[in-house]
Formats: sequence, structure tokens, C-alpha cells
Amino acid sequence: MGIEIFFLMMLVTVSSPFVRLPVPLPDGVGLNPLLMDPGMLVHPPMLLMGYMSFSVPFAFAVAAMVTGKLDSEWLRAIRRWTLAAWSIQTLGLVLGAWWAYHVLGWGGYWGWDPVENAALLPWLTATAFLHSTMVQERRGMLKVWNLGLVITSFALSIFGTFEVRSGIISSVHSFAYSNIGSYFLVFLGIVIVFCTGLFIYRLPKLRPEQEFDSVISREGSFLLNNLLLVGITFATLWGTLFPLISNAVRHQTLTVGPPFYDQVNGPLFIVLILAMGIGPLLAWRRTSTRALRRNLGIPALAAAACAAVLPLAGIHDVWANVAFAICSFTAGAILYEIWRGVHVRHRHGEPYPVALYMLFERYRQRYGGYLVHLGLVMLAVGVIGSQFFQVQQDASLTPGHEMNIAGYKLVYFGNVDTKYSDGEIMTAQLQVWRDGELQQYIYPGIQYYAKFANQPVNLIPITTYGLTDLYVVFESWNGLSEARIRVFVNPLVSLVWLGGLVMLLGGITCWWPGRRKRRAVFTETGVGQKPEAERVGVGPQAANNEEAAT
Amino acid sequence: MRKRRSLLLCIAVIAIVGSIWSYMLITAPPQGTLDQRVHDVASQLKCLVCQGESVADSPATLSQQMRALIRQQLQSGKSEQEVIQYFVSRYGDRILWSPPWQGFTLLAWFVPIGLLLAGVLLLFFILRNWQTQANIKTREHGAVEPEEMDAGELAQYRQQLEKELAADDPIFARPRTEAN
Repeated sequence: MGIEIFFLMMLVTVSSPFVRLPVPLPDGVGLNPLLMDPGMLVHPPMLLMGYMSFSVPFAFAVAAMVTGKLDSEWLRAIRRWTLAAWSIQTLGLVLGAWWAYHVLGWGGYWGWDPVENAALLPWLTATAFLHSTMVQERRGMLKVWNLGLVITSFALSIFGTFEVRSGIISSVHSFAYSNIGSYFLVFLGIVIVFCTGLFIYRLPKLRPEQEFDSVISREGSFLLNNLLLVGITFATLWGTLFPLISNAVRHQTLTVGPPFYDQVNGPLFIVLILAMGIGPLLAWRRTSTRALRRNLGIPALAAAACAAVLPLAGIHDVWANVAFAICSFTAGAILYEIWRGVHVRHRHGEPYPVALYMLFERYRQRYGGYLVHLGLVMLAVGVIGSQFFQVQQDASLTPGHEMNIAGYKLVYFGNVDTKYSDGEIMTAQLQVWRDGELQQYIYPGIQYYAKFANQPVNLIPITTYGLTDLYVVFESWNGLSEARIRVFVNPLVSLVWLGGLVMLLGGITCWWPGRRKRRAVFTETGVGQKPEAERVGVGPQAANNEEAAT
Repeated sequence: MRKRRSLLLCIAVIAIVGSIWSYMLITAPPQGTLDQRVHDVASQLKCLVCQGESVADSPATLSQQMRALIRQQLQSGKSEQEVIQYFVSRYGDRILWSPPWQGFTLLAWFVPIGLLLAGVLLLFFILRNWQTQANIKTREHGAVEPEEMDAGELAQYRQQLEKELAADDPIFARPRTEAN
């Protein structure tokens, strides 16, 4: 134990300053105007904090390997820390996307930029780890794999910081260049070599304790989940590094842009979401096909309903409809699971809201996980909607002119020029009409800073109608009576932010400590107040129901 | 009887969804509007004067001109692939926003896809191996555990399980455990 603590301290103190270092330190002319935004203020520290948090599970893993105490004891601690890191990383990613959407003015939020990828990679492997540890916890299997995932997550975090700082790959995030990069590369090399050595040394101690029973089981679905997540991780890493490889091998510069990732990762994510619907319905060890068929009924109906309604509603994109149907399948599966749990509790005398609360309170891990899944489905629906159905139009307008886009009408009046001590803002004055009614006035603008004359910043009004965003960028102007604007209509984008929040909430639910404490409080005060009737007749039947729900 | 009804329901649902989808596929226009096609082509091309933006997304003047050119060429009847080819012949492969499906850059596509397929195969063989091992073991050891247990042991286990469940959540508490 002493060695463990020592090692923990050493790794945390030695490694975390390394990870913490690259927080951008502005000096000289002041902050780049693109970075003067609250979203910017928050998201990089969040991501770096996430990176750094991965060093804790890593330290635990290394400590376990060094001391040879490779039982499940370290696993629980690691899980909680990974979950914390995962939640922070999720928040960082969503905030980063939100910032890009509100500031950069290209109507999107995720561009598969190398730095974005670098932030996503450890998140993906951490997600894989959070799932596969459950197999180790319950069945004592996959030990080697789990350790590998922890180490990979940490190595990818280091890779991420290295990539941001070194500027070896061209990226919109290349705000700073410095020679700090080579240190990270050396550090990364040491981490990988050291861990691989330790790993091989400890391999004999990592034998699985139990045997695998059936492919169609919870274990099997976790393996599929891991395969997909690792596949996405590798494809993303490969795409990020391929320009370097190509340059080194063929002296050929090329880019690997969003179309590549969309085509490779898109289908994988959709399969992942499908697996997310089926996986939790499977029992550990093996599932009878009858039980599975019974559980799949409702989600399948949800998917069929979605597949039938969407084309009738005029949506004719085949892939989008397939993706939406899969999303509704999974959402149906999750909501049905929650409903069943609530229903069982309700039958024993709890009113529905209390039953819902108690369900999440009592089985935090499981229902927190469902919440995360639900958030991811929402996010996926948002991504599919804005990816497939974004409408974009450019227009050059003079006063009194109007433009029509996807049911909206924009009427232009003129420009207004405002001068400040450190710059100038030019705004276009526009009315938004919809269904013959004036909705509101919007003022897209361009802000010029005296110190950064060649880097104007867009001020983008984003008006949300239902779940659809009207996103107007003021591109250029000519005097006070001509404006060039670019308008995006982004359906369902709000679901991306909402889904991100739900995921975070789910992560926190899983992570939230104090279950033991609460239970103590409950036995002191709670039990006495429970009406007797509630406890009568609950016995084995309830247990059976709960087991069925599991 | 119930089984038959659910089978019928299944068939009905499949038939309804299938007919709607085939109707959708038949009536859907083979290609999108001109705006959409311009956007499709432009999002395949990289803006050469920007950092990490496609021609479709970039507000730069060069990209605006390129979008106008794409529109013009599509209007004159060129296919999307031909327009992209036109830009490649002028600027080289570096204008492509994703690596082309030929020569060396095929690696970019095939390595991840190939490895994923290899992963699926590996997983399949590993699982099969584990499963046969488990089966052999089961056969060697004869009967599975539950039958080896006698009734008293089973009752003991059940009692313990109930106690633990009750401690975990009062909803599982039953009068008998209370009495103990």
C-alpha cells in the first residue's frame, strides 16, 4: 500500500504539471480576438483538465502493475476517477463545439480538426474502458484489455497536448507555436515503452478468473462496444496522422477532412447506437432468445413507427431515415427500461415521480448510464439533423431587398457603423419573417479590433425556433447600404447541446458519491416513517420483477 | 395463439414500412437541387487560403469564386465527379478535402476499415474459442452447479440474498426478514 501511495504521489506530481503546462498564456498584443469569448475561456481549460484527470487512473494502473496487486481492488477507484475525467472531457468537448458554433461562423460545430480529434480520442478510449471494466468487475475477465485501455487513454491525452502545442499538423487551433512539443514526444515515448515493459512483465498475473459463456450476453455486447469504440479511435487517429505519413513517405501534402471521417466514423457511430439499444437488454452470461425477443418488441415498434412517419412527413433521405430509425430504436429501448423500473416500484406503492427518483437514487450506476445513453442518442439526432438537412444560402442585399430560405424571409434595411476606443463594429439590420409574421430584428455584425486589423470577428445572431437554428453571418459590406450575408438553417442543432448536458448529468449521476452515507441516514429516519402497507407482500415477487428488469 | 398474433403483427409492420419506403425511393428525385449539388461538390474541396475549412464553409473570396464556378459547370451539364476532376487537374490532389480513392492514399481508407474487419474476425475467433472451452469444461464436470446444491443450501442462499436486497433498498424488505 505504501508503494502504491508513493507511486501515486510521484506520478501525479511528476506527470500532471506536464499535462497542465500548455494552458495558453497570452501576452504582448493581447488575446487573439477569436479567443475573446466566454466559450473560449472555459473549454480549453476543461479539456486540459480532462487530459490531466486521465493521469490519475493511469497512476493507479501503473501502481497496480508495479506492486503486482492486480485484483479488483484498484478497479473501483480507477472507475470513479475515469468517470470524473470522462465527465470533464465530455463537458470540454461540448463547450468546444458550442464555442466553434457561436464564434467561427461556418454554421457547424465539429470539423474533425486534428485538435478536436485529439480531444475526442482519450474520450473514446475512456468510454470503452468504462464499459469493459464492468465485465472485469462482474466476471473477472478482460484484465489485460482494461489495463491497456487506461494506458492508451493517458498516452492519447499526452499525444493531444503534444499535438496542440507542437503545430506539426495544420489546424484551426494552431494559435501558438513553441518548441515545447519535443518534450511531450519524449515523454510520450517514455510512457509507452515503460508501460509496455511493465505490462509484459505482469502478464502472467492477469489471467481471467472466469470463462466466457455465450456470445449473446452482456459481456458479448461490451466486447462489441469496445471493438467499435477502439475502431473509431483508430480511424480518427489514423486520419489525423495520415497527412504526416503521406508527407514522409511520398512528399505529398494532402488533407484528411470531414468527408473521410463522416464516411468512416459515421456508420460506426450508428452501429454503436444500435448496440447501445440492444446491449443493456442482454443479461450477463447468457440470454434466452425468448426474453430478448420480448424485450426488443417495444423498441422495434418505435423504430418502425419512426421509419414509417418520417417518409410520410416528407423526409426522403434514405440514410438519414435509417439513422433516425436506429436512434428511435435505442431511445425506445432506454425509455422502456426506465419505465419498467418505475412501474415495478409504482406497483409497490410509490407514486410515479417518487418511483422515478428512487430508481435513479438507488441504482445510480445503471440508470445514470441510461441517462448518458439517452443524451448520446439526443446528440446523435441533433448531429444527423444538422448534417443531413442543413440549408445554406448566400445573398447580396440592398435596402428593402429580401431573401427567402427554408420558410424564413429576411428583409434588409442597411448597415450601422459603431466606433469604439479599441475598434469598430459594423452591423447589418435585418428583419426575420416567418409565416407572414414578423418574428424579430437581428443584427449580424463584424467586429474589427485596432490591434488585429486583419482578423475581424463575426458577431452571429442565432435565433432558435423550436429546435431549428437560423444562423446569420455578415460576410462583407460596401458602404452603409450593401451587405453580403450567409444564412444557415440548422435543424435540430439544439439537441446537440441538450444531449451533451444530459450526458453530463448522467455522468454525474453515476459518479455522485455518498450512497453509503445516505443509506445510513435512511435507516435512522426513513424506515420508521414508511407505511407498513408498503412492505407487506412485496417479498420475492418484487425481487423477481427486479431481476427480470435487470 | 399469442405467438401467431405477434408474428402477424411483425409481418404487418414490415409490410407497412416496406411499402412506405419503396414509395419514398421511387418518388424521390434522383439528385438534389442545384444549390444542394453545389454544396456537395464544394464540401469535397479544400479552401486553399484557409486553415481547415472546405470551399463550402469558407467565406474567403477565392472560395466564393470557386462556388460560382462549380455552379456554372454543373449548370452546363457536367457531373459532380467531373467538376471535382476539373479542380484536381488544376490544383492537384491537395485541393481534395479527403484523400482520393486511388494509389497510395487508398491506404488512408483501407487501413482503418481493414483493421476493423480484422478486429471483427479476431473477436469472432476468440469468442468461439472461449465458448468451446467453456462447453468442454461443462461436459467434463458433468452437471452444472445448481443441481449440485441441496434444498437447504438453496434456502440459505435465498435468505441471504433477501437480506442483502432489503439492506440495499427497503422496497425488498418482507415481513419475514424483519422478524429475523
